[in-house]
Amino acid sequence: MAKDHLKVIAQPDKQVPVGSHKQRKRKVQVTWYLFLIPSFLGILLFLVYPIFESFRLSFYQSNGTIEKFIGLQNFQTVLTSQPFWNSVWNTFYIGIFQIAIAIPLGFIFASLINTTPKGKNFFKVIYFLPNVTSIVAAAMIFAFVLHPEMGIVNYALEAVGLPTSQWLSDPSSSKWAVILLAVWHWIGFIIIICLANLQAISPEMYEAAKIDGASSFQQWLFITIPNMGGTFAFLLITGWIGALQRFNEVYVLGGPSGSPARSIQTMGAFIYERGFTGFEFGIASAATYIMFIIILVFTLINLKVSKMKL
Amino acid sequence: MSYKKAEKIGGYLKFFILLVFGILLMAPFVWMISVGFDRSANIAMPFPPRLFPDDASGFNFSIVFENGRLIQSYLNSAFVTVTSVILAVSSALLAGYAFSKGKFKGKRLLFVIVLCTLMIPMEPRLIPLYKLFNSVDLLNTFWPLILPSIINGMLIFLCKQFFDQLPDTIREAAQIDGAGEFKIFFQVYAPLAGPIAATMVILSFIGSWNDFLWPLVVLSNQELHTVPLYLASFSLENGTSLGGLTMALATVSVLPIIVLYLFLQRYIIQSIALSGVKGE
Repeated sequence: MAKDHLKVIAQPDKQVPVGSHKQRKRKVQVTWYLFLIPSFLGILLFLVYPIFESFRLSFYQSNGTIEKFIGLQNFQTVLTSQPFWNSVWNTFYIGIFQIAIAIPLGFIFASLINTTPKGKNFFKVIYFLPNVTSIVAAAMIFAFVLHPEMGIVNYALEAVGLPTSQWLSDPSSSKWAVILLAVWHWIGFIIIICLANLQAISPEMYEAAKIDGASSFQQWLFITIPNMGGTFAFLLITGWIGALQRFNEVYVLGGPSGSPARSIQTMGAFIYERGFTGFEFGIASAATYIMFIIILVFTLINLKVSKMKL
Repeated sequence: MSYKKAEKIGGYLKFFILLVFGILLMAPFVWMISVGFDRSANIAMPFPPRLFPDDASGFNFSIVFENGRLIQSYLNSAFVTVTSVILAVSSALLAGYAFSKGKFKGKRLLFVIVLCTLMIPMEPRLIPLYKLFNSVDLLNTFWPLILPSIINGMLIFLCKQFFDQLPDTIREAAQIDGAGEFKIFFQVYAPLAGPIAATMVILSFIGSWNDFLWPLVVLSNQELHTVPLYLASFSLENGTSLGGLTMALATVSVLPIIVLYLFLQRYIIQSIALSGVKGE
């Protein structure tokens, strides 16, 4: 089969008539589009169509079968709904602290691993391990790990004389339970990314600094950190994109409503609750668009901020 | 001399700090396995925590296996993941190759579209996709999980980058021999794509195996549940009761992945690192 195909394309070459040169070129071009068919079929069907359909739905009252045009009412409902703004608050609260804790901590661990005299690879493997377990299984384990009476975290805190917390049993501390889980799960990723980029810094810079008598801490402060700007920007952006879409772990820990008392319901969980437990497709679609715009604007801001730093 | 000594002490200190935090990070796993072997943990979790249960038994594990739902969910996950990975990797190889070596109108624009897909989250697509698969009566089948994996912008991007590094001269040689574009791809470039294909398999495997929100929406039939769905439904049903069973279940669902990871750690870590230096 491949041979026939080969002949078809090879033939015009032999005759080299001036007029058919364009035709041949077009044929080759068409072949290239064939390579793209699977991907672009997917993009049209599973990305472009849903985005437009979702936009349309956000102007309708819909439960999946009966639809009625209601203009901007869904947006009004969402934007004036207290639970929605609560979910936005929760999402940002958990995201800010997860990122503010995990990136510096992960970078410090990566720097330590990069310069430890022994066990470099061992630590790399160990620290990345939480990240390979699914966040769903991790959340399931953490529900027990953070249990106020029987969990190991409170036990350890008490043992070293630190104050304990009610974690998931109390709306005022439950977000910190999610933050702890998120940091534990994400930090391995940060370490791997940082390590890869740490090793890309040219050793000559360190050599030069050493000759000038800089201590290893000074080298870290004045050579390593400034050279990691791009890496931090990447982690910041991917971190926020992930944080704004947070759903899996809060669903396992608090169900679709983010119990206790909606204290860990994220934007994703709000959309799931309205869309798939209440089957209010119009309202959920409007909420997804608002969330989409929040993510887009926030990513652009992040891009801008991190570019200025570079 | 004292400078060298300080360096040495610093080295030990680093090792020590890493060891302590490493143990802290691993503690949930160790505790999970320990409680999994503790039958009495189903009534009350052992407190204070101990490494070895007073009355260790495989009771919890035998319940988990006898129940059969975990094994069923493993089979479901395996089927969905393997088919999704094959689909994702082959479509990305084709597209990545075309974007790297192809010459056609609109190449730049189409590639920008691919990059834009990376920015689009799942949530806005959830309801339309649900309605789409509902309209063709495919809810509660594996199709909705498999078919959308045909598009993966990240994989296309990585693949293009890989082919960019391969020289065009091989192509030109094959072209002079009169080979068509498909033949050049399958016989010349595809065999060279082993390393990037392995990376793509790893990345799409992780993504597909851990996928949660979309399967949750389309699979209400418990028999079709994937591993994360089964874990979540078990966890939501039982809360923080039945600690022993929950931890045995968590162990059986997490341990095979950990073992796989330990075997393939070099390649997995490389793949993750590769997906992270894309910004440069």
